[in-house]
Amino acid sequence: MRPTASLSALLAAASALVPPTVATAADETNNRVSYRFSDYDEDALAAKSVIGDGERYRVLSQQFDVDTKFSGGSYALKLDATHEVMSGSSPWFVLPKNGVPVQVLSGATIRDHRSALNASLTQNPDASTNTTYSASYSSERDYRALAVGAERSQALDPAWTLGYGGSFSHDLIEPTDALANGRIPRATKNTASAFGSLALVLDRDSVVQAGVQLNFEHGYLTDPYKLFADSDGLVPERRPEQRAQAAALVRWRRAFTDIDAALHLDYRYAQDSWGLHSHTLEAAWYQSLAGGWRVIPALRYYSQAAARFYMPYSLAAAAPDHYSADYRLGTFGAFSTSINVRKRFGHWEFSLGAERYHSAQGLALDGRDAAVPGLVNFTRAFAGLDFGFD
Amino acid sequence: MRSMEPRLFQFAFSSMGCPCEVQLESAVAKAAETAATAAIAEVARLDEKYSHYRSDNFLADLCLDAGVRSVEVDDETANLLDFADALFRQSTAKFDITAGALTKLWDAQGGRVPSAEEIAAARAQVGWSRVEWRRPQLRLRADMRIDFGGIVKEYAADRAAAICRAAGIAHGVVDLGGDLAVVGAHADGRPWLAGIKSPRAPEKVYASIALARGGLATSGDYERALVVEGRRYSHIVDATTGWPVQGFASVSVIADSCLVAGAASTLAMLLGCEDGAAYLSELGLPHLTIDQSGAAAGTIAV
Repeated sequence: MRPTASLSALLAAASALVPPTVATAADETNNRVSYRFSDYDEDALAAKSVIGDGERYRVLSQQFDVDTKFSGGSYALKLDATHEVMSGSSPWFVLPKNGVPVQVLSGATIRDHRSALNASLTQNPDASTNTTYSASYSSERDYRALAVGAERSQALDPAWTLGYGGSFSHDLIEPTDALANGRIPRATKNTASAFGSLALVLDRDSVVQAGVQLNFEHGYLTDPYKLFADSDGLVPERRPEQRAQAAALVRWRRAFTDIDAALHLDYRYAQDSWGLHSHTLEAAWYQSLAGGWRVIPALRYYSQAAARFYMPYSLAAAAPDHYSADYRLGTFGAFSTSINVRKRFGHWEFSLGAERYHSAQGLALDGRDAAVPGLVNFTRAFAGLDFGFD
Repeated sequence: MRSMEPRLFQFAFSSMGCPCEVQLESAVAKAAETAATAAIAEVARLDEKYSHYRSDNFLADLCLDAGVRSVEVDDETANLLDFADALFRQSTAKFDITAGALTKLWDAQGGRVPSAEEIAAARAQVGWSRVEWRRPQLRLRADMRIDFGGIVKEYAADRAAAICRAAGIAHGVVDLGGDLAVVGAHADGRPWLAGIKSPRAPEKVYASIALARGGLATSGDYERALVVEGRRYSHIVDATTGWPVQGFASVSVIADSCLVAGAASTLAMLLGCEDGAAYLSELGLPHLTIDQSGAAAGTIAV
């Protein structure tokens, strides 16, 4: 009788003798081609929170990805191309109705598409010290963005790994129908980011990472399509031309080799010069099962406190310097639950998953400030196919 | 100005009954020397502790003691026993560290094929399933001999590589008689090249395998083989039959560690050509098998 081969049983038994080097999967192949599809669908707004039709946004996204190693494994190249088709209506401005703020959505159905290309090159991908260079370009009818970045991971000793890097992005905004609608015809924005992190292998089954990230944005940070209701009527929203953001994060990974599972716990705190601050807590369970199956349930909680200049509308005689009724700048909390099921067949891996996201002011940690009628709930379904080969 | 270009330093030595070498790249000669010295000392420590060719070491004493009473073993030994237990189960008892009596019987030094009676007598001394192993307590049957062959050399290679990394060396490879553990790829990112011996002419290189990380282990029927009247009896003995395996001439496997690579190659040898090939592909690790006619198969391109 031929025994059943189990790599996980071998690895589990070996892990006490030879602690696994963290962050490299045993089953990595040298080349990988993958295709991903996702359908992001926002719920219609409830009748009490909206004037007019509550139908919202939908994004169908496709991604094609190629990972390859060359020069005998000393370089890894990753190329991915994304194409998205967006349709539907998005929040436009907020009005008081019987003293309660209600959302008005952009009436005309937007139909747009976005294409993006992303390339990254890693030197010594399998070494404990390696460097990655990346560049990306994204284009849609009214928006183009070009970004470059570099990051380095450096093993200090077997237990400690230092990571650091930076990126720069230049975005060009050319709103459609600018003249007819009094929108800015052309504007730019620059973003510079830097991060540093330190990872520590705690024992043979767990690793913890802590890091900080800084972002500086400068330029036209206003959404050219959003309006704001004040005592004079509707005016384009106005945001500051600079934004500085700092974030701190902690990640904890723990493997449970006896049951072939791993727990990922992440926490992130971010604060910016607009007064917006947020907490993100995320937990994911990676469970491998017999027959090449993997199941990954995940739960994420997010809470943010509003930007100083967020208000649904203003009835004051004198308008403040900056004002926006964009729901993404208001106070709210959100829960997201997702499940991803993967099945491996030889060189192939199929994945299928779904995510449900629900946001509400009552879920915020920091109580409730001004009303945010445009908060979003959405469902996302995704599927993918990977092919790995040497 | 002093050049800071990393240079290659090679340290050849002999241990575990075979030629060994530590190759390290470093800009500082002293750093390479310090790391290599510590790595070689670790290999020597494990050879001294676990060699089954000796009667005066830790392993010999442990077998004697545990044969008469339950003995509490140290963590390292317990980890090795746990690993051996996993291999015993995964090989449906073909791999058995208590097969020391059988291995000794089939040793090339004997120069003859043992008789059926001798094989039966040795088999009576073998059987991991009859050992009482409740970590950390070990109780063997009297006369049982533990042989960590197929585990300790591979473990020593991984340990030596880990010691080099801990000493700050990022590029290098440890080679213990053809079982390799990578410290890190060459400083310029190139992988190390490992020569796989031609099974019927071990002085010749059959193929070169690129190894950028992890470990590579080879099990072959050519090492310490007993040849009687033109017939080859490999040193790898199936504990369930008491006879050496007739299968692949050699099996090489790449894994995250030399230890796991060695376990996979040894088990594939024990399973024979057909089952061994199926086992390897099911395991999903890169491998190269060479059969008795010298034909190569597997997922490693040569």
